[in-house]
Amino acid sequence: MKTAWRGWALSVLVLAAGACRGAGEHGQTIALMPKNKGNPYFASCRTGAEEAAKELKVRLLWDGPTETDPAKQNEVVEAWITRGVDAIAVSVENKEAISTVLRKARARGIKVLTWDADAEPDARDYFVNQATPRGIAETLAGHAARLLGGKGEFAVITASLTAANQNEWLRQLRAVLAERYPDMKLVDVRPSDDDRKRAFEETQTLLKVHPEVRVIMAIASPAVPGAAEAVKQSGRSDVRVTGLGLPNDARPYLKDGVLDSAVLWNTKDLGYLTVQAASAVASGTLKPGASSMPAGRLGAVKVEGDQVILGTPFTFTKDNVDQFNF
Amino acid sequence: MTYERGLALGLVLEIALFSLIGWNFFTAGNAGEIVRASAEIGLLALALTPVIVTGGIDLSVGSLLGLCAVVLGVTWRDAGWPMPVAAATAVAAGVVGGGLNAVLVARLGIPPLIVTLGTYSLFRGLAEGVTAGVKNYSDFPETFLFLGQGRIGVVPSQLLVLLAAAAFFWLMIHRMAAGRTLRAIGFAPDGARYAGVPVSRRLAAVYLLSGLCAGVAALLYVARLGQAKADAGTGFELMAITAVILGGTSIFGGRGSIGGTLLGLATLAVLQNGLRLADLPAELAGVVTAALLLAALGANRVLQGRLHR
Repeated sequence: MKTAWRGWALSVLVLAAGACRGAGEHGQTIALMPKNKGNPYFASCRTGAEEAAKELKVRLLWDGPTETDPAKQNEVVEAWITRGVDAIAVSVENKEAISTVLRKARARGIKVLTWDADAEPDARDYFVNQATPRGIAETLAGHAARLLGGKGEFAVITASLTAANQNEWLRQLRAVLAERYPDMKLVDVRPSDDDRKRAFEETQTLLKVHPEVRVIMAIASPAVPGAAEAVKQSGRSDVRVTGLGLPNDARPYLKDGVLDSAVLWNTKDLGYLTVQAASAVASGTLKPGASSMPAGRLGAVKVEGDQVILGTPFTFTKDNVDQFNF
Repeated sequence: MTYERGLALGLVLEIALFSLIGWNFFTAGNAGEIVRASAEIGLLALALTPVIVTGGIDLSVGSLLGLCAVVLGVTWRDAGWPMPVAAATAVAAGVVGGGLNAVLVARLGIPPLIVTLGTYSLFRGLAEGVTAGVKNYSDFPETFLFLGQGRIGVVPSQLLVLLAAAAFFWLMIHRMAAGRTLRAIGFAPDGARYAGVPVSRRLAAVYLLSGLCAGVAALLYVARLGQAKADAGTGFELMAITAVILGGTSIFGGRGSIGGTLLGLATLAVLQNGLRLADLPAELAGVVTAALLLAALGANRVLQGRLHR
């Protein structure tokens, strides 16, 4: 055992010597973290991030969890703090856990942003917000109005009746209806519990209970294919579906024509804007009080307080859905 | 050259390599971060060493860590108990979990692989059941978070816990008579029994200690991340077992050392950290770990062969 200890003591000594490697930085280094590297949604964000990094000539680090270990995001941020980067931008999986280490990064003078999903507000400088509830509500109401010709009944399939995001969107949706589309009537809101099969059943019921409904709006991503499948099987060609969903779920129904449109945000633009914003914060051009920032090909982007707003949501239709794969 | 010395040399080379290609790798601050990130798995690996020396295995430690973390959250926030009491309850939950393994393995003689594969699911299932899988306990008091995030001088606080555990297990395996009996059990359980070794009592003790360490590791984990959730410690058991095996402990039992386990742990922790600081994809860690493990075990086989023939 003596030998084991000698070896162990030797390596401790080497570490304790603590000679610091002086590393000269060239240009900005911006570190971006997705919730999960393997998710195609984030792979799509990454292409935009790399595009922006190339334009701005900054070094982009892209790393994040590949497995379900919830401690991984923290460990990656810790490593980035040690490595020394100019800005860190995180899509937050776990608000409570990540905020501690993000505060530490800020204390070390690193600029911190969140994107896609936010941390606690005091743990970051800016949040790159992909879509405001108002923007989502306006876009969805616009699609319904186009399908209904501005007049008639429609119904909503939501996530669960208590889901915070969905309820905020519904509140904004009702406000938009009152302001712009007084002749459109939201007759029913049914839950899907984020389950495709439940959305399918609820839509079947809805079609029977409210035969005058001409548009089904599914505002949870699993509800979009669920509702579309129910309408398709009912054979009702006078009913169309719109909603908030992912392109791969939506694709077959968009091609069928049952689904008119699926609203989300442009993931490539989200990655692009995040790198643009991180670089601007790190170089000091984006400071508190700003109301907009220039963001390359996206033009001037709106800044509200400590949020950088990506802008109006993006609509997937049968014509553009094949450009996206997530 | 002994196996441990070879491993130590490998570790030194690894450190030298990352000092060259990594950013700010060779700094006291980073040494602290490496310790921090590996303390929980280190505790599990230390406790697993005697388990594996007896020819057993404990696959349930990562899940038990998760369950103990949830117990901490429930007793502290839901039940409103004072933090020290809640922490003690969480550690006690670890002992109870380890006790369940101990009874099934030592009393009923069920193979440890099967027992702990069962409790691996059981503990995680309980943790998820209690919290519905989504409840997340946070906002723990600063004094508690110090355990996972604080420093005493330049020393991260969990290093003290890790060193204390290392000293305890080193004494147990290498300095006490009981340690020799563990090796005897690993080599030949029946032989040990005929030689008068209280086999089931010794086995029960190592599984109990494993549970205890999972409980303490849960405290370190919650204090480091500032949150307790049912998914805490997912996959930690495999990392810990890898550290033990890389450290030269035989999976068939009978052979193993605490110094080796610490070297194995350091090798893995430095690898994870160094790859990140060198801007290399962390997925590479899996491949390099596998290569290291195979190379190390191959080398060990050759050394052993030379020794025995």
